[in-house]
Parts: sequence; structure tokens; C-alpha cells
Amino acid sequence: MTPAGPAGPRALYLHVPFCERLCPYCDFAVHVGGAALHRRYVDAVRSELETVAAAVADRRPLTSVFVGGGTPSRLPAPLLQRLLEAVGSALGIAGGAEVTLEANPSDVVPAAAAAWLAAGVTRVSLGVQSLDDDVLRQLGRAHDAAAALGAIRVLREAGLRHLSCDLIYAIPGRPAASFAAGLEQLLEFHPEHLSCYELTVEPGTRLHRQVARGLVRPLAPAAALAQHWGAVDRLQRAGYDHYEVSNFARPGERCRHNLVYWRGGLYWGIGAGAHGHLPVPLARRLGLEVPAGTASVRLWNHRATPRYLGQVERDGHGRAGWEGVRRDQRRLERWLLGLRRPEGVRLATARDRAEARALAVAALVTVVGGRVRVTRRGAELLDQVALRLAG
Amino acid sequence: MPASPIERVRNFSIIAHIDHGKSTLADRLLERTGTVSARDMTEQLLDTMELERERGITIKAQAVRLNHVAEDGLGYQLNLIDTPGHVDFAYEVSRALAACEGAILVVDASQGIEAQTLANVYKALDLGLTLVPVVNKIDLPAAEPARVVEEIERVLGLPAAQTLLASARTGDGIDQVLEQVVRRIPAPTGDRAAPLQALIFDSKYDAYRGVIIYVRLMAGRIAAGTQIRMMAGGATFTVDEVGFFRPQMTEVDELAAGEVGYLIASIRDVRDAKVGDTVTTVERPAMSALPGYRQVTPMVWAGVYPVEGDAYADLREALGRLQLNDAALTYEPETSVALGFGYRCGFLGLLHLDIVQERLEREFGLDLITTAPSVAYRVTTQAGEELWVDNPAQLPDAGQIAAIAEPRVEAELLTPREALGQVMELCQERRGEMLHLEYQAGERALLRYDLPLGEIISDFYDQLKSRSRGYASLDYQLRSYRPAELVKLDVLVAGSRVDALSSIIHRGRAATQGRRLVERLRELIPRQLFEVPIQAAVGGRIIARETVPALRKDVLAKCYGGDITRKRKLLEKQREGKKRMKRVGNVEIPQEAFMAVLRLEQP
Repeated sequence: MTPAGPAGPRALYLHVPFCERLCPYCDFAVHVGGAALHRRYVDAVRSELETVAAAVADRRPLTSVFVGGGTPSRLPAPLLQRLLEAVGSALGIAGGAEVTLEANPSDVVPAAAAAWLAAGVTRVSLGVQSLDDDVLRQLGRAHDAAAALGAIRVLREAGLRHLSCDLIYAIPGRPAASFAAGLEQLLEFHPEHLSCYELTVEPGTRLHRQVARGLVRPLAPAAALAQHWGAVDRLQRAGYDHYEVSNFARPGERCRHNLVYWRGGLYWGIGAGAHGHLPVPLARRLGLEVPAGTASVRLWNHRATPRYLGQVERDGHGRAGWEGVRRDQRRLERWLLGLRRPEGVRLATARDRAEARALAVAALVTVVGGRVRVTRRGAELLDQVALRLAG
Repeated sequence: MPASPIERVRNFSIIAHIDHGKSTLADRLLERTGTVSARDMTEQLLDTMELERERGITIKAQAVRLNHVAEDGLGYQLNLIDTPGHVDFAYEVSRALAACEGAILVVDASQGIEAQTLANVYKALDLGLTLVPVVNKIDLPAAEPARVVEEIERVLGLPAAQTLLASARTGDGIDQVLEQVVRRIPAPTGDRAAPLQALIFDSKYDAYRGVIIYVRLMAGRIAAGTQIRMMAGGATFTVDEVGFFRPQMTEVDELAAGEVGYLIASIRDVRDAKVGDTVTTVERPAMSALPGYRQVTPMVWAGVYPVEGDAYADLREALGRLQLNDAALTYEPETSVALGFGYRCGFLGLLHLDIVQERLEREFGLDLITTAPSVAYRVTTQAGEELWVDNPAQLPDAGQIAAIAEPRVEAELLTPREALGQVMELCQERRGEMLHLEYQAGERALLRYDLPLGEIISDFYDQLKSRSRGYASLDYQLRSYRPAELVKLDVLVAGSRVDALSSIIHRGRAATQGRRLVERLRELIPRQLFEVPIQAAVGGRIIARETVPALRKDVLAKCYGGDITRKRKLLEKQREGKKRMKRVGNVEIPQEAFMAVLRLEQP
């Protein structure tokens, strides 16, 4: 049989927006409560998956699936199972694929953990955030430190082999020791992967309003950086590979799915507020009028769950918008993302090599073997460095 | 159409301060005489350039012919010559006035007489013009017509009984204005049989027709086919067409002495038809040119550079096209170490500079950096050589200089009495020497000062306005060159001298100015990847220093969830901002920084 259309991405991001409560710092697409919508949502995702699957010719199965949120662990296990079955039947999941589920510690109970693994989940990204109860309260989280550690034990007992934990640092008003101690405690559980994110103040969040009103004062840049480099040093000593600004992995445990983003690769984005990145022929096949000279297409779904549901039920897709990525934009993305990783970016793709040399003289980057990598100082100013190099 | 009998021609202009209602009055006259129907009336018809209309100022003079039947039952040809309203264009005003026998003096019924008005009134009186004073805006609640009428009599000596009251907005009193123009302004005189003498009071470039010359005939006649010569410029042309404006161009068989109109003669460059020159015929030339011709020369110079180096050719092309229509604009290539290739442009004043820059950016789509304007200094070297320096970067080393002379102006300032002290203080700070002080009616004072031009082109006007709550006004004329203790203030950014930031200032103020300048630059230059020291230096000696600290941190902690678009857009927005900056070495300097030296006073 000859293929009826273009090849599709081999990575899928699947968004599940439901949350028990709204965290004051979070700007992802979320829907508080909404248990009554769970089933309808899974059906909508299935329908969206079928629409995109119809546009793809060769059924090369997915090598990574990332179920993020929101709080996908809030979905009852049978519904999660249906969700992954829908993915499998629409796009196919390759043997040995990485299938990550984001989970909140409070949702991790033995029965659920066992059901997730049975449904095909190979990796869990656990939202620990902190092991300091005061901080967890401050962050508006539902769990405490004991629950987080309990969740790790449950996942291990269920047989989970790839565990990632999220931590947040640079908490206003909290000493650096709070974060360092939490990290130390977590290391005793030998997670395969860690993501340490600086608390960022995103527009439209409650935290943003609090900062604007002067109720919360964000940490000084130098203090935030000190916590960051403290974690980097500690984790490297513990044998973790610092493979992206905020991400650390034991050997062989890098997150395959997130690497697709950071390499500028292609992926499907399914579910409310999800973003996808598609090749031009595939985007055209989905009905988008992509102008010539476009390198690839980025597209995104409606963020509000009811609106997403309504549109998928009517039109079979949840798309809210898209943009053709021009070559110069592609270059900026490549530098922006590439410099975040230790591999760096090929010097040949810089707009002006003299710029790279100037930055090297200023010890912001190194240029070795035709690749540009940021130094520690350069990493602190990474976005500016990327701008200079991408032109 | 034959020429009108000379006794039934009236040539006049309108003198008014900005905002006193000159354009509205002109519109009303056009409407009342049926020159333009009310329906076709676009507000302020005479200001044709888009920029003029937006800013509410007149840049180029216009001339429009109104046909009016007066109370005596006879038809008159009224030529209304509109004059530019800003001190930068004083010479064009004087030529437009020279084309008239009279002028309507418009004074706002609540504001009273302003310095600008006064300067033009004196110009008109010097030229022997008859004035018809009109107190305008009498319909406004704040109007005090009686006070203003009395002021006109006391300050200008124009009898109160002759002053008309009007509202150009409502149309009240307009008929009386027309009637008094006919009755009081004398008809022109001039021998129509004599050799041609036509005064050029304006010219403009039209892409299809070439240069359109605005003329007032003082003697003789002109028609299509006439061979003409510019008496000062020397060039000869054959006339293709003559006519007048109503306000659209209307061709006629001939123009005769006393009349105002236009002529077209396939002229490609406005510099061949300079304002003030006299047109005569090749065949039977006039014995002498009309008096008052003056080569218009720039008063201030500034470097104009494209932000992107590859736009240099576009800039040259654009300047060439602007110059076709603006004989006062000069430009020549200039190179700056910091800014690359650009042009040194000469302007009549800051408003002129502003207008040119805005037209270059708006009409030609150029992104420009303009350096702080400078006046021209006369430098005598130790070797006895004399040179003109209009670019501070080109001032020779202090060791080679024997003397520097700076241009000085005589400025006339009209201020409310309560701000007199403040205004005098400002003039004192700017090294002014008081020549004259006179108290006038209406709690006002007239000051005459001898001031360095270089001090006036900075923020003098803004300061004058702020210290007098907007009421003081200014007019000035170049008077002399005088030696002064001047030094070059250099600026070093990240250790290297940035030539485009140099300025020439008085030695006594160097320390203060230097300190303020680096403080200002520290505010204007955004934080960069590196720490950026900014120093001010005089003759190689550092007199002030500030540092722009390096950015501490600029990295997105979170980059997952696949929303790369948003991250990239954040960066793209920054990149757009950077496009408006000039990279000098490793430092990105925003456009405003190059003008910083102009704005050193605390607001």
C-alpha cells in the first residue's frame, strides 16, 4: 500500500486539564473540579486523535507520549487506560516507547499506581515541588512532605523504574537551606530524573498580582542563581547529568519526550491548551493554508476546557491558532533551545561568527569543535546570548 | 483671462501666533468669497502637507486668489499669501511679506500679543505694510476683546477704532475683514510696461511638473513662452505656464505687475529658483534685482545615519528628493566611527530638523539615528588657519586651537511679568547678555538678549516654556561671532570614545554638563551582557563616570510543555527593540542617547 499522506511526528503531548485547585503560580491550561467532564473529555481527545491520525499516511508508531496537565493523575484509572488505548489505536505506540504521566502525590495510591503501569505508563513525573511543608502551603499545594515521600514509596513498590521529581526553588521569603535540604532528602530515594524549576512569576497568575501589589517580593536574581548553581553542583556530584537548564538525569534517563522539544523536533499536541509542532505537508493536510517559505508549523488548542470540548465535538479538532515558523524564526528557536543543553549549537548556524568570538572572549560561551556552548555566566544570560547569536 | 486692473488688486498675508486662528480665518475667507464651497472645505485647506495639518503649523507658504465683490460694487482680486509660522522659517516669512502691501494681524482675544506675532509685525512695518488688526475668537468664554484691542493700540500703536472683532470659527465679522482689506490695504503699484521683475517668495517641487515657482510681479508681464533668467542664480528657462491658485492651479494667459501667481518652466531643482531671487526676461532684463535676496544658510547641523548600514543608499536618495522641495536643507556625506556612513545635514533650526527627520522616517520608511545638533564654530588654529566646525567630533585637539568663536543671536523674549525673574535667570545660565528690558501693557515684559546660538538649540525653548508656565515666547536672529572659552566634551562608552556623542560646550559648565550627561546616558543605555562604563572627558581628562551594571540574569527557567512559540516571541519582541538601537563596539545604544546632550536640565 502506498502512503496516502505525509509522515507524522513520533512524539505526542497529551494535556489533561483537571485540577483539584488552582496553584497561585501556575499558568498552564487547567480546569478546577470538573469530574463530570472526565468522560466527555476522554471522548473528545479520542475524536481529536482520530482526526489527526486520518491525515497521516505511514503509521510509524510513537516513541514518546507525555501525559501532562493539569493533573492527569486525577483521571480515574479506567479513563486513563481508555485515553492511552485511544492513543495506541489512533497513532500506535512503539514497543519500548517512553510513556510519562504527570502525577500529584495525593493521587498516588497503590491501586492507581498499579493500574497506570498496567495501562502502559513507563515513567512518572511526580510533582513533589518541595519537602518543606511551609513552602508547600505557600505554593498552594494539597499535599505535604510526608505525602510526597509516601508517593515515591508507593510508585517504587508498584514497580516503577523511571521516576522523575519536580522541585521548585527561589521561593520568596524562604532560605536557600529549605530547598537544599529538600533536594538532599529526595536524593536518598534515587529518582532517575529531577527537574528543578525556578519559581517564575507568570502574567495572569495570582502570584503575579501579589507581586504587582507588593505583597510578595520575588527573590533577587543573584539569590535565585545561587540556589540554581547549588543544585547543579550537588546533583552533578551525585552522578546526575545536567542535560538541560533545569533538568538532571542519571545515565540513560534523559526524558526522551522533552528532548524532542529542546531539539526543535516535531510533536503532536492533543487536548485543551496543548501545543503541537508539525511539518508543513502535514499541516496543509490538516487544512491549514501554510505559505511558501515556511520551515514548520506550530499550532495550539483552545485553553478553556468547555470551549475546547465544544469545538472538538463540532469540528473534530480543538485548534485555536497556528503559525508558520519562518527560517529566521527557526534559527532563533534553535539557539534559544540549543544553548539550554550541554551539546550546544553548531557555530556554522550563527548569523555572525564574529559575535560568537566576542562572546567567547567575554567568557560567556566556549567554541570548541565547531559547537557553541554557554559557560556558567553565559547560562545566566542565556536568552540574551541566544539573541546575539541568532541575530 | 486678462490681468486685473492693478488698482483692483490687493495682496496681503495673515500674521498670527501659532493657534491664534490664522488657518481658520483663511478658510473662512475662502469660503465667504466662494473660492471654495463649504462642502469642499476640508479643515484648514491651506496647509497642504500631511505633516503640516497634523502639527497645525505652516511649513511652506501658499498663495491663493480670492475674487471678491466689495461694497462699492466692484470686483477685486485678493491674493492671500500664507506665511510660515515658526522662527526657523523667518526668512521665508520676510519674503512672503515683501510680496504684499498689507497684512491682517490676528490676535487671540484671550491670549493677547505674543513674541512671535510681534517679530512678524515689526517685519511687516519695516516693509511698509498696512496692518488690519483683527481680534479673533471673540466667541470663546475666556475672550477679553476690549483688553486685547487696547493692548494692540498701546503696544503696536494701531488705533483701537481700526481693530476689527471676529470669530473665524463662527464666521462673525468676516465680511468686515474682507471690506477693510479692500478699503485700507493699498493697491500695488508697478509699471506693467517696464522690464519684468518678479519676486520669488516660495517654490515647491512637483513630481510631474517640476518646480512650481510662486511669484509676485513688481513690474512687467509674464506669459507662457517668455524666456526668463534668475537674477541671482543666473539660470535661464522658458516659461511653460503661468497661473494662480484658487486654491487648485488655474492657468491664465499672463500675469502682470501687481499680481501674484505661479510659473512653471521645466525646472528640475528648487535650488534654481531660490526664495528671494528676482525673475526677469532674457530679452529685456530689468536693470536691477529686487532688494532683500539672501542665500538661506543653515543654522544648525546634525549627523543623520541609517540604523541599518545597508539603508545608506536609500537615505541619500530620500535626502535628494526632500531637497528638491526644501532649498534650505543641505547635506553632505559624513563618516562616524560609531555610526558608520551617514550625512551631515544643515537645518534652519530644531523644528526644521524635526520635520526633516520625521519626513525621512514617515515618507521614506527609514530608521534613523540623529546626533545632537551643533552650531557652526569658527576655529582659528595655532598656525593661523581658520576653519568652520559644525561637527564636534572634528574639532582639532585643544593644543592646535588658538581661538574658537561661537555664533550669537539677538533674542526677543516676551514674558508675563511674574516669570520675568525666572526667564532672566535662564538667559543668565545660558551666558546671555541683557540688551534691553521694557515693561508692557498686560503685565508683560519684553526682553532683548544677546545669547549664544549653541545655548538656544538645546532645551532652551522647553525651559523657557516650563519656567513661564507656557506663556513666554521667543524669536531670534543671528547677529555675530564672538570668541568664547569652549571645549569639546567627549564621551567614552566601554572605554572607547564615541564620536557621535561629542559636543562643544562652555568650559565653565563642562564639569556639570559632563556629570549630567553620563547620568543621563546611564539611564538611557539598557543593561547589557557586560558592565558598561560611561565616562565624560575634556581634553583627555576624565571628568565624570557612571556604570551601567551588567544584566544579572536573563534565562527562562521553565521551557517545557511544548509552547515554544511564546518563548520565541518574548525574544522576538526584544529583538525588535534592539533594532532601534545602534551597536557601537559591543554596546547597544538606543537612539535617544545620541540626543541626550540636548536634555540635561531637570524638567
